[in-house]
Amino acid sequence: MLQKIRVMLFLAWRSIQRGGRAGLMLNIVIIALVFTNMLLLPSIITGAVELFNEQTVDYQTSDILISPREDDRYIADVDTLLAKINRIPGVHRASARFAMGGTLIYKGKTVSVPVTAFYPRDEVEVTLINTKMKSGTFLSSGDTGEILLGNFVAGSEDESEDFFASLGGVRVGDSITVNFENGVSREYRVKGIFQTKSYTVDYMVFLPWEEMEEIIGHENTLATEVLVKTDEGVDLDVVKMRILSFGVGEKVKTWKDVLSGLVEESIESFNIINQISMLVSLVIAVVVIFVIITIKAVHQRREIGILKAIGIDQDIVIGSYVTQVLFICLLGTILGFIISQVLMIYFNAYPLEFPDGNVVPVFEYVTMLENTALLFVASAAAGYVPAWRIARQNILDAIRGQA
Amino acid sequence: MITVEDLERVYLMGKVEVHALRGVSLSVKQGEFLGVTGESGSGKSTLLHLVGILDQPTAGRVLIDTTDVYRLSAEEQSRFRLGRIGFVFQEYALIQELTALENVYLPSLAAGNSHRDHEEHAGAILEKVGLEGRLNHLPRELSGGEQQRVAIARALVNNPGILLADEPCANLDSENSRNIMDIFADINRETGQTIMMVSHEAWHRPYFHRIIRLRDGRIVDAGDVSDDGKR
Repeated sequence: MLQKIRVMLFLAWRSIQRGGRAGLMLNIVIIALVFTNMLLLPSIITGAVELFNEQTVDYQTSDILISPREDDRYIADVDTLLAKINRIPGVHRASARFAMGGTLIYKGKTVSVPVTAFYPRDEVEVTLINTKMKSGTFLSSGDTGEILLGNFVAGSEDESEDFFASLGGVRVGDSITVNFENGVSREYRVKGIFQTKSYTVDYMVFLPWEEMEEIIGHENTLATEVLVKTDEGVDLDVVKMRILSFGVGEKVKTWKDVLSGLVEESIESFNIINQISMLVSLVIAVVVIFVIITIKAVHQRREIGILKAIGIDQDIVIGSYVTQVLFICLLGTILGFIISQVLMIYFNAYPLEFPDGNVVPVFEYVTMLENTALLFVASAAAGYVPAWRIARQNILDAIRGQA
Repeated sequence: MITVEDLERVYLMGKVEVHALRGVSLSVKQGEFLGVTGESGSGKSTLLHLVGILDQPTAGRVLIDTTDVYRLSAEEQSRFRLGRIGFVFQEYALIQELTALENVYLPSLAAGNSHRDHEEHAGAILEKVGLEGRLNHLPRELSGGEQQRVAIARALVNNPGILLADEPCANLDSENSRNIMDIFADINRETGQTIMMVSHEAWHRPYFHRIIRLRDGRIVDAGDVSDDGKR
């Protein structure tokens, strides 16, 4: 066996060494581009998914989200709940949110959105919205008559730039009217406009908790949700279990729980696109390798016959062609890896601008190994078949160059 | 010793059966230098190919020493060709991507000899056929006569008991042809290898111990050259 491998490698190496350089380089470049394509799309998809996950944690749910029990609309006695959660080991801070429907009006333009209230000092501990101010400043405790708008709510003066109904380009310092669903109407000065690039978050409106109590007309002990930020490095599931074990009867979900289902469907759709793209890439690689080896084996039919005539086993002859294919694949994947790394560096410096944010492709080694294995297996098969077809030919027919 | 018994080979050319060999029987002694002659299409190359296990007979058998070679599996036949038979083709039949030295040591490498052994041995054989200065040349850099000498060296590298040559001088000029024939004669004399050579050339006759002549797939003359006093 070892002897066969030695001869196989010897023949393959000499063929590569003394065969056409231009053809070899072309084959390597084709495999490199196929490999790059196989890596790039999954890395963009992974990057987009990571961006979505980050946006969810940073602006929407924090690490753990507590929502009302199954048949309840609100979480009751929220102050007690906050006090309890803030004492749980692993919890950094909990922040309550209370949302009430409202219609915002500015110069005849109206937008109907839930108006969400929070304690600004708590909110800055659990989300990063305060770091994404496009203009103005974030809310502070004790602010009255001031409101915080998402970028899509504020909108732009040129309506064609807006994805959704907006206030048509309201700016910091402008006054808007808010008609709440309980019938109360108030004027607010826009204190800040934030832009997270998350569609959901940038279509939100925030008020300080105390301001919402003014609207309700009494002290508010209800919340529509509680966002919980955990200490760095802790296991979210462990903290979730602790919260439940502290007797919290509301629905407690980690951000992954919240996204499961919703994101899985999106990822599945992405994966279908990815698999189609990968299949096309593989088919290209297989066809290229098949054509290369067919041409090479047909061209060398006589030499294959000679090799068999002098006593070289058919398996060795086939093996030498497959070895050449694997060598082309190896160099192609190395070149493809280099190209993809250069692209990663480029995209890190200049991320892909998606409507939902800037996506930096995320390169995963597992994906790379899987794709490499897939490419090698497909290429080896694509090289084996034509080599086998020619090598099994009758020796004399091969030497005479007859098909 | 080669024993051929009732060997037949029928080719199908479309729907027409072509009888290349029609029951050929023959014995070649160890160390004999046998010439195989006959007109074009008489079956001499077919006979050589069947003795060299390059083809499959329609009927009959070929025994080399005591081995019925067509009862061996394909892999065993390969091993047998590698170790026991050297074949020299009319058109050199060298591997174009290998140098003269590599072409010669390839069968040795396949036979499992150590790297140093097969390189040294191949070099020595090439030296013996007068190519000591051309070891690292590719076939396209060699003349026809040199390529044929490389092919002979390759056939000899595993020290096979039998050397089969199918019109090895057909594409060579007279000087190169004579050199090649001298090499065969030297090999036969020095190593005692059995040689079976297909030849058209009348001037080759003195080299052979015996000549058989084929016509229409049958041996029509199995005379001994030595008896004619030509050698």
